[in-house]
Amino acid sequence: MKYLLTGLVAGLMPAASFAADDVTLQLKWVTQAQFAGYYVALDKGFYEAQDLNVTIQPGGPDIAPPQVMAGGGADVMVDWLPSALAAREKGLPLVNIAQPFKSSGMMLTCRKDSGVAGPDDFKGKVLGVWFGGNEYPFLSWMSTLGLSTEGGAEGVEVLKQGFNVDPLLQEQAACISTMTYNEYWQIIDAGMTPEELITFKYEDEGVATLEDGLYVMEENLDDPAFVDKMARFVKASMEGWKYAEENPDEAAMIVLDNDETGAQTEEHQKRMAAEVAKLTAGSDGALDPADFDRTVEILMAGGSDPVISETPEGAWSHVVTDIALTE
Amino acid sequence: MTTALPIIAVWLGSWGLNAWLSRFDTRLTRVLVALIFGASLIVLWEMTVRAYDVPAVILPAPSQIAASFAENARTLWIDFVQTILKGALSGWLIGAAAAICTAIAIDRSPFLQRGLLPIGNFVAALPIVGIAPILVMWFGFDWQSKAAVVVVMVFFPILVNTIAGLAATDALQRDLIATWSAGYWQSLWKLRLPAALPFIFNGLKISTTLALIGAIVAEFFGSPTRGMGFRISTAVGQLDMPLVWAEIVVAALAGTAFYGIVALIEARLTFWHPSQRK
Repeated sequence: MKYLLTGLVAGLMPAASFAADDVTLQLKWVTQAQFAGYYVALDKGFYEAQDLNVTIQPGGPDIAPPQVMAGGGADVMVDWLPSALAAREKGLPLVNIAQPFKSSGMMLTCRKDSGVAGPDDFKGKVLGVWFGGNEYPFLSWMSTLGLSTEGGAEGVEVLKQGFNVDPLLQEQAACISTMTYNEYWQIIDAGMTPEELITFKYEDEGVATLEDGLYVMEENLDDPAFVDKMARFVKASMEGWKYAEENPDEAAMIVLDNDETGAQTEEHQKRMAAEVAKLTAGSDGALDPADFDRTVEILMAGGSDPVISETPEGAWSHVVTDIALTE
Repeated sequence: MTTALPIIAVWLGSWGLNAWLSRFDTRLTRVLVALIFGASLIVLWEMTVRAYDVPAVILPAPSQIAASFAENARTLWIDFVQTILKGALSGWLIGAAAAICTAIAIDRSPFLQRGLLPIGNFVAALPIVGIAPILVMWFGFDWQSKAAVVVVMVFFPILVNTIAGLAATDALQRDLIATWSAGYWQSLWKLRLPAALPFIFNGLKISTTLALIGAIVAEFFGSPTRGMGFRISTAVGQLDMPLVWAEIVVAALAGTAFYGIVALIEARLTFWHPSQRK
């Protein structure tokens, strides 16, 4: 009887609206093209086709995604691997289930007139860094350069950068942290020219760490129903990402439609979508263990103050992508 | 239920003890009641967190916070000096001096009264999250910009209270001092300022807490890598909650001490006021 009813109901309405599984996704940052893939998947009905009812929660300067996960406020989050590994070491068992971003978009952008021409010139300079879990790649890089971050003539003076590019514009800092897809263009929009700037990409310096990946709580992976749900989520998200890669302009417009703050502009989002497409290229969603190992190696090289103190065990899993990518 | 039993037992036990103690109204029991209440809260917190396995990233146990406090004592001291002594205290002193001088200027001249008071009012209405980034731009990342935020925050409450205080004398007193041929400054110094002290201290006490909040919150908008606001916002990102709570303990202790010291000075200076009678 039950099957008969289900069959009847399924015949009467589209399957998607029938008891779809709820998924809450916590973003690392505010609604912007950095997360275009998820918004495209939502907007284009890729999630719906997988029988999912997805809620996307934007982040912000005062939101630490691992804390949201710890409080049970989301099923899955977007975060960077260093921050997730640091949280794991602090006793929050987060596991990477997928890695849509193949390469890192992080760089240090410097004013040429500050006298910085290469990493050897950082000594004695003021460098702007984001905190809140984003400081780890920077700290690792400085320790590989052998520079103290405590200031002084032999080290670098670190200032906690707010989420804008003012310190560079006002020459309060010689260099600031920027993303290829965001802050760099904010500097350009503020009137500086690329010729006045010199950028050091973490990828080129050999200190790139894995950025936007998807993370869940470890104990949930013991539940086959949750794994199945996540597999469908990752599959649809990757469809969204590949669509956004092909059509960055359209993806940017979809992001703008979903931006409830109204803070984003079309030009900036289109640029961001095009830059992010370069970072997602080459990833089918499955984490490459070699990338993971490289990230860990960089983080462990933290000298006297390493970001993580021991090699993480079980911090990533292919169980979800294995299902998601074979169907 | 069985996990809850010892917690309930401790709660009822300490309640009962306090209820019994409060029958004897001596100095000792008054102190004891407060101590037992505070201690039982901490014990209940510790028991609840342990019994129900609350993760440290949500709410650390008091023992973890105490351990983090001891372990990071040096860091906490550096942050305390940066935020409380350099940022809050200097800002509070500058703000208070400026507010009292402005109040006297306003009192002296009706012209200024019409112009300055509305501006003071306007400044008081500025939201801290709006002015903090601007002041960071003007005064740089270090404690100077935090002190500037504090100046803006404490200025108005002290100004308004001082102006009210300067109006606190009655005509009879002012006539009396005038018959002794006192000029404006003499009457201000010998009669009106002392009479205004309870009001001024009211403003000073209110603004001690404002100064702490201002200095801590201003650090969220760019700071060097030290300071309580810096540490709180970064430790949250690193999920080091015991350290966040240790900073909160420092802030609470510093706030209480700051208020207490101002209240103590007030008691010394306004011993003649009815509110100080024992």
